[in-house]
Amino acid sequence: MKICKVVKPLVSTNRIPEMEHKHLQVVLDGSSQAVAVDAVGAKPGDWVICVGSSAAREAAGSKGYPSDLTIVGIIDHWDDK
Amino acid sequence: MDIYQADKTLVCTSRVPGLKQTSLRILRNKMGNKVVATDPVGVREGNWVFTASGSAARFAAGDFEVLTDLTIAGIIDNWDESAG
Repeated sequence: MKICKVVKPLVSTNRIPEMEHKHLQVVLDGSSQAVAVDAVGAKPGDWVICVGSSAAREAAGSKGYPSDLTIVGIIDHWDDK
Repeated sequence: MDIYQADKTLVCTSRVPGLKQTSLRILRNKMGNKVVATDPVGVREGNWVFTASGSAARFAAGDFEVLTDLTIAGIIDNWDESAG
């Protein structure tokens, strides 16, 4: 699992129906940006834990949910050395 | 899910049956290298999109039998490239 920083929400009105209405966040993994499904309700600036592969699908809702990166936790204290 | 910019469509008539009749689209990331993704959304050139990769791509394609590992999941409403 990766530690990422939430940048901002990602708004996408025109998207595939399988994604339903889950919130999406732009997260920063080191220096590269990615999009993660937000299963916990993080806000910009939070340090979060993101999970990938098939666990990301289940964390986002169901086995068939098309996510390959999902936020599964908000870290209480984290300083980015 | 990764962020790409949509380029041209990819015409590929001789393909494995597993790809079915999905429309293919060339995508370009910030570094400029190009990948091919299936496109259930129907994007235009220049749109910034986010994709699902791996086995999630097969679910995103709407039909699990489609043999893809990268699918366009949606068009980002507004995206400034410099924020990268």
